[in-house]
Amino acid sequence: MTVYSKISEDGKQLTISIEERFDFSLHQQFRAAYHDNVTPDLTYILDLSKTDYMDSSALGMILLLKDHVQLHTGTLIIDKPNDTVNKILEIAQFHRLMTIT
Amino acid sequence: MPSSKNLVLIVDDSKVQCKVLSALLEEDNYRVIVANDGATGVEMFITHQPDLVLMDVNMPIMNGYEATRRIKAMSGVGNLAPLMFITSMGSDESFINCVEAGGDSILVRPFSSAVFKAKIKALQRISDLVEQVKSLQHEQKNDAELAEKMMSEVIESRNYGLDRIGIIKKPAALFSGDIQLSALCPNGNIHVLLGDFTGHGLRSSIGAIPITETFRVMTKKGFSISDIIMQINSQLYTLLPGDLFFAAGFACISEHEKSAYVLNAGLPDAYLFNEQADIKHQFSSKHPPLGILPEILSDVQLDIINIHPHDRLVFLTDGIIEARNQEGEYFGSQRFETAVKEGVIEGDIAKNIQKKLADFCKNTEQEDDISLVDIPCCSWVNNNDITVISSNLSDELSELDNSLSIPLAWSYHLHLTGKLLKNTNPIPLVMNQINDLEGAGEHWQSLYTILTELFVNALDHGVLKLDSALKNSPEGFSSYFNERTQRLNLLQENKQGNAHEDFVRISLQYYPLFQGGKMLIKIKDSGVGFNVLKVIKTNSQLLNTGMSLSGRGINIVDQLCDTLEYQEDGTLVIASYIWRNKQVLD
Repeated sequence: MTVYSKISEDGKQLTISIEERFDFSLHQQFRAAYHDNVTPDLTYILDLSKTDYMDSSALGMILLLKDHVQLHTGTLIIDKPNDTVNKILEIAQFHRLMTIT
Repeated sequence: MPSSKNLVLIVDDSKVQCKVLSALLEEDNYRVIVANDGATGVEMFITHQPDLVLMDVNMPIMNGYEATRRIKAMSGVGNLAPLMFITSMGSDESFINCVEAGGDSILVRPFSSAVFKAKIKALQRISDLVEQVKSLQHEQKNDAELAEKMMSEVIESRNYGLDRIGIIKKPAALFSGDIQLSALCPNGNIHVLLGDFTGHGLRSSIGAIPITETFRVMTKKGFSISDIIMQINSQLYTLLPGDLFFAAGFACISEHEKSAYVLNAGLPDAYLFNEQADIKHQFSSKHPPLGILPEILSDVQLDIINIHPHDRLVFLTDGIIEARNQEGEYFGSQRFETAVKEGVIEGDIAKNIQKKLADFCKNTEQEDDISLVDIPCCSWVNNNDITVISSNLSDELSELDNSLSIPLAWSYHLHLTGKLLKNTNPIPLVMNQINDLEGAGEHWQSLYTILTELFVNALDHGVLKLDSALKNSPEGFSSYFNERTQRLNLLQENKQGNAHEDFVRISLQYYPLFQGGKMLIKIKDSGVGFNVLKVIKTNSQLLNTGMSLSGRGINIVDQLCDTLEYQEDGTLVIASYIWRNKQVLD
């Protein structure tokens, strides 16, 4: 398992962390990490600080997460991508679509 | 009960056993063949391709485990048959050995005939499934090959200028998620697209066909590259599921304007190289890939760059930069740039990059589609593309025109004001009307050029009062374009309460001739006009000395038209265009 998800103590924040490679093989796990959570106004943090590599299907998976977040009026934050991963997000101009910190 | 007579291979050294099992199987309508040792069993498996195999363990020459291993080792998609061991050794160890050797089931003696038949029934179910998978796989392979063939037929083979564009296309699967398109605009500009759908394989190439059609049809009708980008984006936004998108680079290369218009939406940096393979410009991604947002972000502009005839524009997908070698190292942009440099010296960029990639990756499996286009920035328009009517012919036709009074077939008027001038390109609209009325024809290409040049002149110099002298430096075109955008925006804001209304009026009159036709074009603008004689004189002087970067447009129009004149202080231009039907020329 390289996808971890955790709800904060106050119940207002869901953190999903991805370790090592973020690619199509994580499709099911990634979806499972947020799909059943329908709490409104939640802050979703996608922690990429431990992600070494990300491919374009991962970008697609992030877009699906974004759709889910919007549907439940939440907020999505992409957290601490490393340089390699950030480069991929930059090429795809994802900072135009969501918050990247 | 099997519908057709299925074949069972029994491998057992006891002839009595074989007889008993055969009898039971024949009761259930099976055909049976028998081998009395492992080696013969393997041979018979190869020659008869049975549907089921029953295997004893202890046999002379070759035992059941070894025979099973050999049979399973050569079982591919085409000859997969379930195999059951029949043994009197009921220990855990023998059970495990049977499975390890490749057995699908085990039946321990003694057993009743009812149990045996039940076991065979279960095995038959597996065998039926295997059959089904086999035929599905076969069907899918055929379909995929057919679809792939059609796809490349539709997409690649109809590209323009294939002999001049350097291309790399190496799909990771049978289908490529990357597409490469090129098409010629009616005015001689060239449009190029390199795109990469998320993922690879059939799923990602399905969007390629609608995009290809849009790109070709819109280019042919004379739409600008930004119109095409907007259309493709909204098309993909509606078509694609949420996680599928299209990273793409678009370019319009205009030799006439010595400029390239580029948008990189989600691809790695694109490059403009000069003759020495120095990087003149890098086009980084400015926009998210297409198909994600319902509309193109309004603040994103095309990059406009001046080009020289020997420059080359290169687009590539991430498959090149992210190709990995055995050590997991990436090919990277540094190696890419070096490979381009060597490629330019050797005269073939695509070939050298492919070679360097192969050397780098050695035997590692290709993870993503790899593609690149390398587009030269010159000599796109050859003389065959623009039909210029010989002067003799047009004289003859004019005489005809004058001597007989030719009836007007139809006329068409379009009056564009204020805001519409900013947002509409009327020329494709007009051309569509003409195509609808008179059918398609090659002679419309020249008409398209004439209309575009005259309309742009009326808008730029008449309505917007831009001075083409702005273009008279190598960097001038960009500043001209910026100024133009600004003034167009003002048009919109000043719309209300403006006593003087900005407009361009296009009117067309069509006279059918015996073997062709004549189009009388009038374009009137709201500008203040210009000193016709002086401008034409200066223009032709500058053109003759090769000093001017502007004025080429009107020169081409003059060549294409039968007559061209300015009236009403230069605010009205009247051109007549005459053509003969193609078949008559041939």
